[in-house]
Amino acid sequence: MIGMIMFGAALVLLMLGFPVAFTFGGVALFFGVFAEGMDLFAFMPFRIMSVMQNKVLMAVPLFIFMGVVLQRTRLAEQLLTSMGRLFGGLPGGLAISTILVGALLAASTGVVGASVVAMGLISLPVMLAHKYDKRLSTGTICASGTLGQIVPPSIILIILGDVLGLPVGDLFKAAVWPGVVLIGLYIAYILVLTRLKPETAPAMPTDNTRSRKREIVDALIAIIPPLALIVVVLGSIFTGIATPTESSALGGVGAVVLAIIYRQFSFRMVWDSARDTVKVTAMVFAILIGATAFSMVFSYTGGDYLLEDWLHMLPGEEWGFIILSMLVILVLGFFIDFVEISFIIVPILAPVAEAMGINMLWFAILIAMNLQTSFLTPPFGFSLFYLKGVAPPEVRTIDIYKGIIPFILIQILVLASIIIFPEWYGMSSTY
Amino acid sequence: ATQSLAQERFTLRLAETWGPNFPIFGDTSKRMAKLAEEMSDGRLRIRIDSANKHKAPFGVFDMVKAGQYDLGHSASYYWKGKVPETLFFTSMPFGMTAIEQYAWFYHGDGMDLMQEVYEPHNMLSFPGGNTGIQMGGWFRKEINSLEDLKGLKMRIPGFAGEVFAEVGVSPTNIPPGELYTALERNTIDAVEWVGPALDLRLGFQQIADYYYTGWHEPATELQFLVNKDTWEELPADLQAILKTAMRVSAYDMLVQSQHANAEAWANIKEEYPNVQIKNFPEDVFQAMYDANKKLLKEAAGRNELAARIVESQENYLDKTRAYTDISTRAYLNTMGEVE
Amino acid sequence: MRWIIKLDEGLARLSSLCGWVACVAMILMAANVFYDVVARYAFNEVSIGLQEMEWHLYSVVFMLGIPYALRSDGHVRVDVFYTNWGQKTKAMVNLIGALIFIIPFAYLIGTYGYEFALDSYNMGEGSGDPGGLPNRWIIKAVIPLTAFFIATAGLNMATFALRVLSGEKSYEVEHSGEGLA
Ligand code: NA
Ligand code: NA
Repeated sequence: MIGMIMFGAALVLLMLGFPVAFTFGGVALFFGVFAEGMDLFAFMPFRIMSVMQNKVLMAVPLFIFMGVVLQRTRLAEQLLTSMGRLFGGLPGGLAISTILVGALLAASTGVVGASVVAMGLISLPVMLAHKYDKRLSTGTICASGTLGQIVPPSIILIILGDVLGLPVGDLFKAAVWPGVVLIGLYIAYILVLTRLKPETAPAMPTDNTRSRKREIVDALIAIIPPLALIVVVLGSIFTGIATPTESSALGGVGAVVLAIIYRQFSFRMVWDSARDTVKVTAMVFAILIGATAFSMVFSYTGGDYLLEDWLHMLPGEEWGFIILSMLVILVLGFFIDFVEISFIIVPILAPVAEAMGINMLWFAILIAMNLQTSFLTPPFGFSLFYLKGVAPPEVRTIDIYKGIIPFILIQILVLASIIIFPEWYGMSSTY
Repeated sequence: ATQSLAQERFTLRLAETWGPNFPIFGDTSKRMAKLAEEMSDGRLRIRIDSANKHKAPFGVFDMVKAGQYDLGHSASYYWKGKVPETLFFTSMPFGMTAIEQYAWFYHGDGMDLMQEVYEPHNMLSFPGGNTGIQMGGWFRKEINSLEDLKGLKMRIPGFAGEVFAEVGVSPTNIPPGELYTALERNTIDAVEWVGPALDLRLGFQQIADYYYTGWHEPATELQFLVNKDTWEELPADLQAILKTAMRVSAYDMLVQSQHANAEAWANIKEEYPNVQIKNFPEDVFQAMYDANKKLLKEAAGRNELAARIVESQENYLDKTRAYTDISTRAYLNTMGEVE
Repeated sequence: MRWIIKLDEGLARLSSLCGWVACVAMILMAANVFYDVVARYAFNEVSIGLQEMEWHLYSVVFMLGIPYALRSDGHVRVDVFYTNWGQKTKAMVNLIGALIFIIPFAYLIGTYGYEFALDSYNMGEGSGDPGGLPNRWIIKAVIPLTAFFIATAGLNMATFALRVLSGEKSYEVEHSGEGLA
């Protein structure tokens, strides 16, 4: 029960505006020492060490570095505005470009902190400069930066494969269509919204001195270098030159090379980029460390057993089970990070699902989709914190909270469609 | 006094290196806990925390040492970087088979030597379940000569990795989460994992055709760690119960491994006809055998205790293998001839 | 008051130092990973030692970055109410938070982290993999070291809050104005 009270306390205290990471850490400290004594914190060095040795997370600073260099050299701006220009007088071009770039990044990493922050650096300033609505901008970035969870390669799918004993390759294949549909619906949402409220995402100003054809050609030429960088990153993964984590280093070094080519390079620029990277990386990892203290106290005070007991009360009939278990995961996703959910909850649900003859591959995709949504749900959705951490001060937390809502609804819609019409995605709900 | 002592209940906390519900390994710790509780009529309860809870799969040694956990379920060779002599109590390349090694532990000097290694770290260590002979790994191309191994990038950790390195392989670190992708896309050329039952879960059979037979870990023995203070607090009967529960569940894991691997292998044979079982060529085996000898000699030279362990294992292997030759090997040979 | 200003500025220099080290590690890490990929692909060379160096550097980046980001207000806040509050209220939140959240948290991680690193030193722990790095205690010592600097950065947050309370400084100046840097 202490775990539940702790959630409440954290929620209230977070609102006071003290840094998120240390609010998590501090609340964990009080509840932990009160319930279990100081020695509980002897586990902390081990937990920190496991973050230090988690090489997959190395993608976070490396991708951020790439994003910062692209931003500082204005190459990111060039990429996005050129892509935006391709849409001509159509409003929302920048937002759609952002989603597309997010999708490409998603295909090269499965680490949410990396892509949300990189996207925040690359496209938030550009969107704001072009008078985009703050909520639409932040919502688009959080949602597209979080795509990496479902678009393979994806950490969630790898963990679920491990927990459920499913081959990773099958999971990756099954996740492709849901990912594509999600991206498509994000874009469709932007198109519909901008038709209804064009002022939320103004079209790029057209240059009257040039013909439309000339404009398109110029835009295409401007896109090539940064796009080439993304192709190098993705290409190195697909050809096996680099692992997904390592590809992020190719991206960072590649961005510096681009800067040299475009005569934007200086040692000052590299140093300043490193400084920004360190600061943003520290922000992301401080949250991870605060959160690990929090989840440590939660589980060592018996929160995990309590959860197990609750889960055993789920109904034993197929549809009721599916719907309720999805709801439970969605709600818990507000509070607990996806790794915990995968390890605590999935092993309890899996045997029940299996006994009902539910196709585990399908079930795993549902869970992955659902866990991705948990990154986006206020107030604890980590993607929201990450973006806030790199956003200019005029973007308020509440803007981000409100901006993400339409995208959460889209996530739920896609989740529901996979539940009801698995055959659309080339799956079946039973064996 | 005896009356109240007999009533005393103990709840011990066990940290395991594996995640929750990890097949076979995790079954073993659960089975041990269940046995201990049943045999003690509920006086000895063991609560298991898996890696998702303590988050320190390779901190089990330190946590049990410091008393943060009473018990651990892990593998001794993981601690080789901390205490080099722990290496010898899991399985050695070209070493004993499971039955031979159990004989060394329980009836030879194995157990005493193991306690001598763990004693300075305030712990006792017991055999914790055997995987049987581990497979030599999944390769994407066939190995026909020593030359084919030169520069081959392989995920192969620990001492076996050192042996492979001696014959020209480049041991490569890849996080487990990226192993499948790395092998699929030729970032690495080969992966060593465990055996059919556990390998099947990672899907290597979908992307690699050559499954090599094992030599590097002929009898991987897990371990139960016990914090010494905890051990000394337990009354003699509960100590006996704990010891029995550990021993029975360890043997049982060997049996379960045999069963699960046989099932998984049947499955692979049927569903993945691409998979071919291969032996390394003789010159490769010979080179690895020599490399192993050389490395063992180096390891034994490090200190007196290491030297005694290596000597004990060598002597025991000589004796026990001579018997294996006229029993198990002779029988399997006979079977081979009549089939 | 004067000594508080002195202390505040001295503590700020400590955090900057952490930031400087982390920046160097950041650049080295990018180069290290890049080199490892090129060496493996082009020259078929793999060094476990260099592969381990990657996570050593990465750890230094994010660990020592934490105190640095504390001084430069880089840690994300939920600003639903915070932005609308006056200087004094903000200073009170930061002063109390630093004293009851940051410093005790850093203290616990520091003391247990010290034992953690010390044990590794006493055992002479190194990598268990072929060609891996020796002296694991060095990287483990980054944990108590970071905790120490988080504590000084927390104290720094408190001294700065005192300066704001006295009216001599304000948060706008220090705020991460241009969004990032
Ligand atoms: Na991904
Ligand atoms: Na193995």
